[in-house]
Amino acid sequence: MSITAINQQLLRAIGVGIAVVRGDDLQFLFSNGPFAEWFGKPEAGASLQEVLPDIDVDDVRSAMEQTGRFNGEISVKLKRRTLVIALSISSTDAEASDLLVVECQNITRIRELESMIDSYSSMVERNTRELEREKERVERLLLNLMPRTVYEEFKTFGVVTPQLYESVSVVMLDFVNFTKFAANHDPTVTLGELNDIFTAFDRIAEQFGCERIKTIGDAYLAVAGMPEPSPDHMRAVANCAVRFIRYLERRNQSHQYKWEARIGLGTGSAVGSVVGIQKYVYDVFGSAVNLAARLQAFANPMCVVAPDSMKEFLVEEFHLDDLGKQEVRSFGEMRLMRVNPGIELSRMTGRF
Amino acid sequence: MSKALFDKYGGFKSISRIVMDFYDKVLDSDRIGDFFDGIDMPKLIDHQTKFISALLGGPVSYSDERLRRAHASLDLTHEDFDEIRLLLSETLSEHGFSPQDIDKVMIEIEARRTSILATGMS
Repeated sequence: MSITAINQQLLRAIGVGIAVVRGDDLQFLFSNGPFAEWFGKPEAGASLQEVLPDIDVDDVRSAMEQTGRFNGEISVKLKRRTLVIALSISSTDAEASDLLVVECQNITRIRELESMIDSYSSMVERNTRELEREKERVERLLLNLMPRTVYEEFKTFGVVTPQLYESVSVVMLDFVNFTKFAANHDPTVTLGELNDIFTAFDRIAEQFGCERIKTIGDAYLAVAGMPEPSPDHMRAVANCAVRFIRYLERRNQSHQYKWEARIGLGTGSAVGSVVGIQKYVYDVFGSAVNLAARLQAFANPMCVVAPDSMKEFLVEEFHLDDLGKQEVRSFGEMRLMRVNPGIELSRMTGRF
Repeated sequence: MSKALFDKYGGFKSISRIVMDFYDKVLDSDRIGDFFDGIDMPKLIDHQTKFISALLGGPVSYSDERLRRAHASLDLTHEDFDEIRLLLSETLSEHGFSPQDIDKVMIEIEARRTSILATGMS
């Protein structure tokens, strides 16, 4: 096939730059329109190196020897735009004269689109990360408002079914003279103190299988046996209670403000549910809660009071003092007892 | 309000075409094309993708401070800014944006005029 014939065919290949160079000295024999547009029309006798100075001729030669093809990329500045041209050099199969065909494709658009996709995906990824963080923040917040199992139900179904727990225990703590303290101190001081103490209580509660439900002013309410049923709920609240007291005693030794608390324990049934639609609050209701609240009022400062009905579950681990029969509002006459740390705990702390 | 434009006109699928056409127009413009001469292509594309996405309320916010820094060394005039505005408005129109929505975008870009034209401050 003559060069003229090749020429005619190639010229029809619109958009693809084609040139033919001699294999031995890499001199141009032919080039088409697009090629000339990108690299300038090679003058007679010009070599590959002169027209495409960015190409390493040695690389071309070694690639030709090894694979029979050289692939590369060249940037050309055309007006203001930097074009990216993919270059492919291969030998023709003309056995006599060793000719190389230089094929050039304009891949600028592809590169531009790749850049845009990179740019966009980095935006999206950053947004996704932000959303993820936001989701975690919301989740943490909701987990402060309700137990995890309740949160999972809420997340899956959008509602929380009120659930009756037959047998749970409640620990309710209230500070002595809190109102007076609050009146005499800057609110930030009061808040700082409560925050510090309640944070410690939360840790104790968690450690002993209780879950803090809420704080109301200076009152602290935690439950055991819900939403996860537990056979140990009475011991759990008693353990929390004596440790709350122990924590306060220790804290009072080193802190400027001394706090004393009364604690009531209650046991019985309770209903747990999210209350409200816009402002979610997970709350518990029921006799166990009421009882704990009532008994807390019977407690002397730094004492824990529980109904006698909890005795058989606590007697092994705690030191119990009978308080006799008392009239408890809306519960009637009821035998009460004081719950003190057992021998083991007392020995461990060296106190009480 | 313009939050919706990005999604209203088909999200990234369509916006990518707008960015590409806008990029072409800007480079071809004899008035402002030279400002973009010599800027690394990926950088310019990145800038325009984010800028247009931000104007249309897409998933990016481009702070005025960032715009200021990007343009501070260019010494742009109000006429240059108007040209960009015009090119963008043309591009949006070619891509089927309603005149009202183009107006919204023009208000958005106008709000950034001072940041883009601010010079010497970095």
